[in-house]
Amino acid sequence: MIDVAFVVFSLTAVVSGYLVFRVDSMIRASFLLLASFLNVGAVLVLLLAEYLGTALLFMMTVEMIVMALFMVMFMMNPAGLNPMSMVHQPRVAAVAGVVAAGGIWAVALFAEFPDAPVVDADQAVRDLGFELLGQSMLVFESAGVTLLATMVCAVVLSAARGRYGDGYEGSVAPPLDPGGDHRPEDDLVDDDAAGDHHHGHGGM
Amino acid sequence: MMGGDRIDVPSGIDPFHPALAVPVLLAVVGLGAVIAVILHRKVASSLAGTGGSPATSAAAPLREARWLARQQVVTTERPDLATWILAPAAYLGLAVAALSVVPLSAGVAVADVRTGIVVFGAAEALAIVVIFLHGWSPNSPYALISAYRFVAVALSYELLSMFVLIAAAIPAGSLSIGAIVDSQAGLWNVVRQPLGLPLWLVVSWGVTFSGPLAVVDSADLAGGGGVEDSGLQRLAWAGARAAMLVVFAAAGATVFLGGWQGPVLPGGAWMALKTAALLAVLVVGDITLARMSAQRFVRLAWAVLLPLAFLDLLIAGLGSL
Repeated sequence: MIDVAFVVFSLTAVVSGYLVFRVDSMIRASFLLLASFLNVGAVLVLLLAEYLGTALLFMMTVEMIVMALFMVMFMMNPAGLNPMSMVHQPRVAAVAGVVAAGGIWAVALFAEFPDAPVVDADQAVRDLGFELLGQSMLVFESAGVTLLATMVCAVVLSAARGRYGDGYEGSVAPPLDPGGDHRPEDDLVDDDAAGDHHHGHGGM
Repeated sequence: MMGGDRIDVPSGIDPFHPALAVPVLLAVVGLGAVIAVILHRKVASSLAGTGGSPATSAAAPLREARWLARQQVVTTERPDLATWILAPAAYLGLAVAALSVVPLSAGVAVADVRTGIVVFGAAEALAIVVIFLHGWSPNSPYALISAYRFVAVALSYELLSMFVLIAAAIPAGSLSIGAIVDSQAGLWNVVRQPLGLPLWLVVSWGVTFSGPLAVVDSADLAGGGGVEDSGLQRLAWAGARAAMLVVFAAAGATVFLGGWQGPVLPGGAWMALKTAALLAVLVVGDITLARMSAQRFVRLAWAVLLPLAFLDLLIAGLGSL
């Protein structure tokens, strides 16, 4: 039963990981990657790393949502439904992929793995907690603070309003006619609004 | 996870047999969803003063469901059919998976695993993906806008959920929901951590996109995420959403209202009463509270509610010293 589950989860993880590069949309790619991670999480649960497995499920879920959202937000494909290629530098990537996979297979085949079945799963969760907040605290906290700073920066970048004023200030709308210079604001007749644009809060 | 024979559950909790667990959960969730829909209509009609009309009878939702199920399903141009069709099923599946870690009475849980609140949180996070995909897949502008708008709201309430659940786990010394109920034998968390339940209500409205956080299928986007749904799809989505509401009421009852604990009545009855009470609060809020614009909620969530969640965590930590 456990073996069948292991085969199903690991095959699904590999296949959905492969499909990430075969689909033509950032949203599909992100959530196929998520599907791959979810199956890895299920394998971790099978290995009795219950906390790590379940935490992986929800960490990766939120992470992939944020990734999909920001990718779509900052790229030219506004909906993520338009077809677009999901690969960059395919040759380099293929070589790097084969080398990395070879390394991992070599480790899997030739390394000596400890054979120590988990007896008390509560103890395993407790040990993990002490490890994260003891020996590995510096690594763990550095990663945490870096991620937090990234999140704050992302929010600042995407916020419409900030301490330096409106996020749209100084932005120029694209012309209405391709290649031309007739812009929507040219049609505005409000002189005050136009004047405010020019004498705005400089300081950029 | 469910009933895996190598995952030993905490002592005193007997999981159902896996073959029994899924039908039992579906029955609980299905019955709860029907009650939630009927309750919603009754409250709405009594608040509007239109009680007694045929549309508010208890059988009306079932009649409408039968009618919807027989309608033609229409589709859009170039949708992502797989995610569109699977979204309601996945949403219902997540509701059932989340309920599987919630004990319905003393020792009656499908899988009261030691990482219960983490599993619950994972189901909640995956619900965001499903709700997003449901709006994204029809390839339709209003549905798409609602999907992106929901993600902005969802990322803001998701952290609240994590913090209030962790705060509830601190006095229990365990991530298992059964242990969290046991830890409330003397004093319920609603008193001990007064900020927890109100924040949980916000999260519940968020996950079921109702009340102040009704940003998905809302009228301001002509139906939003559900604008292209028809027939059976519309019915499945509405049913799954009612089921999710019941699951969040049940989880709130265990985490904040002492779950099955109470005098005289059996544990299951107390659990049903508390779940129904919380469901009523959620439904009344759904009907009476105005929808907030996503931008205002995001500001409120990060500037006010998140610090309150930290305070909740601090109170829980100091209380357990």
